[in-house]
Amino acid sequence: MAIKDGNLLCMPSTKEIPTLTRINSFYNPLHTFDLPKGTEKHYQQQYADMYFLRLAMLKPAVEQKAEEAWRDFEIAGEKARRVDRVLDVRQGELCWVVGTVYMEMSLKPNILDDISKEHWISAPPAREKYISPGGDDEIMLEDESGRLRITGDFLSTTSYVTGCVIAALGTENADGSFKVIATELADLPRQPGRWERDEGQLALSSKKVKQEKPKTGKIAIVSGLEISGVSGDTILLDLLVEYLLGESLGGVEQAETGKITRLIIAGGSLAHSSPIPSREELAAKKGHKKYGYDSSAYDAAPTDHLDLLLSTLLPQLPITILPGASDPANVAIPQQPLHPALFPQSRSYANPPAQSKDQPGAFDSVTNPWEGDVDGWRLLGTGGQTVTDVLKYVEDDNVLDVMEAMLRWRCIAPTAPDTLWCYPFQDDDPLLIKDCPHIYFAGNQPQFDSRVAEGPSGQEVLLLSVPKFSESGKLVLVDSETLKVECKQFETPENAGELL
Amino acid sequence: MPPKRRASGPSTRSSTQSTLAFHGATNKVTKPTTSTRSQKKDSLAHPISSLQKPDLSAPTSPDATSPTTAEAAILEQAAQEAAAQAVAPTAQEEEASHITQARIKKYWAAKEKARMAPRVHQEALGLHEKVLREWDTSGQYGPCIGIARMKRWKRAHKLGLNPPIEVLAVLLKEQEAQNIASQRAHVDELMNSRFGDS
Repeated sequence: MAIKDGNLLCMPSTKEIPTLTRINSFYNPLHTFDLPKGTEKHYQQQYADMYFLRLAMLKPAVEQKAEEAWRDFEIAGEKARRVDRVLDVRQGELCWVVGTVYMEMSLKPNILDDISKEHWISAPPAREKYISPGGDDEIMLEDESGRLRITGDFLSTTSYVTGCVIAALGTENADGSFKVIATELADLPRQPGRWERDEGQLALSSKKVKQEKPKTGKIAIVSGLEISGVSGDTILLDLLVEYLLGESLGGVEQAETGKITRLIIAGGSLAHSSPIPSREELAAKKGHKKYGYDSSAYDAAPTDHLDLLLSTLLPQLPITILPGASDPANVAIPQQPLHPALFPQSRSYANPPAQSKDQPGAFDSVTNPWEGDVDGWRLLGTGGQTVTDVLKYVEDDNVLDVMEAMLRWRCIAPTAPDTLWCYPFQDDDPLLIKDCPHIYFAGNQPQFDSRVAEGPSGQEVLLLSVPKFSESGKLVLVDSETLKVECKQFETPENAGELL
Repeated sequence: MPPKRRASGPSTRSSTQSTLAFHGATNKVTKPTTSTRSQKKDSLAHPISSLQKPDLSAPTSPDATSPTTAEAAILEQAAQEAAAQAVAPTAQEEEASHITQARIKKYWAAKEKARMAPRVHQEALGLHEKVLREWDTSGQYGPCIGIARMKRWKRAHKLGLNPPIEVLAVLLKEQEAQNIASQRAHVDELMNSRFGDS
């Protein structure tokens, strides 16, 4: 506005003020991990069904890979033979067999630890790694017939966890264990093309498929907001909100934020989920109890704060929120969506439940793990519990290595139900990967990292390790056109040196 | 003792109420029993055999009418399968409904011939029950506990494990005969029995 001689009383300026617009988000979620509600969800089945399903579904793929690899394999004139059952291996005979890996580790969580907690009040400290320092962990191969102990130097080159299905080539020793010289995995499944599912749905409803693809923007992924309602570091969250709304910065940077089409919150939104105090806290204080529940212990401030944050962003930016380990959702994976009752303001941006299956609306509360199509790309994401649990079985701490291994094993949570709480699936195991995703992200990890993994048939998967926002102040942006990753760092002057 | 007060007015003592006294034959407080010494002699004279024998009859059997949770879930599964079949029978069910009893007998005879020794303890069972128990214990189709037999067959078929069609025929015949109990594996009943030890 032109001010002449300090005189503010003048005609409004005719200069054009550019309006910033946000690019549309193309969103098509899948409901792979939705469990039936209420009485239709049964728990009387056993976990043996899950292991049977896993082996039965992955065996054909693994066998095919093993056939291709070892069809003409010969050692000292002896050809490798396929054996049906794990117990059918014969001493001195070169053969290969398919089975599920089981790691016998003495440091794995044990029900006896819970019992000692009963008696001695304090639990033994939670273990960082399950690997025993003496190296006396055993690896076994299991199928319906039984278990076979596997040994060999080859096993130290790659890491295995309970629940991955492999084919092992080797021979049986005199002491009954199977010496392995090579293994094969199912490897990455078929990857759908970009926009494949959207085009398929359009074709089914006999609408014309547009040749020219719409322009897409960037996907923002954040995790571990860790809102506790009492802490004073809400300034980082305010900075995040201002950045996403385009209120901060200016000029070119501001226009860039208009390219962010969707925000995905990958778990860890609330720092302390349970309003019900643990046994130790109950022993410490004795509150006024009515019907066994101390109502004065419930603090609504964290959820209010989260709701306020989301409803500030929602008018402009569609949000997908996954529950995490510290969120008020069920403990067993697949964690079901956060209930709309927690978000009284934000839920007006979501469609009513009857409609939300096909048209989610701007606010989508989804399961953990989650699969869906954003801007044509297939995304697969977890809140991080699955990855953290697998890391406890392996020596090195590289998150992306573990994520790549999980894709190659075609299992999102191989350690469930062994050391990770899980729903007992009986008919169909949705934790097996049937379509290879384009982007695989895991939230609440210690550091930010990204890499592209390649598959045997030209699949390319972008692996993303998203750190906790409360610790690192990082926001991950993925460009939908080029699949390039960039990371925005938020920090305040006080903790400029502390953040990773 | 406090000084005696002069009772004034007409006689304060009411004629209906008697005075409290602990002496006298009419106010004996202790129960009339025989002396203890004679009691001891009595107990020695009459050993335990004279005491009343405890009633060792079986405790009242638990309510056998309402099914346990495991049973109820399997019956619900069986009912769902039956309902789905009534709506739209699949190709396998169509094929299985055409299988005759003679073919089932031939299938069973082939299974018996493959064994080295005859089966024992199965003389009292009918052919259908024998076929179904063999189906339960075939481990390659998955665990049989906690799942209805029909659902297990459908699951094995979906996974491409080629379960024998004769078993489906037997299950359909049992379903037509309204025998809902046949959907639960026998091993399941044994393992989850409420009358068992555990």
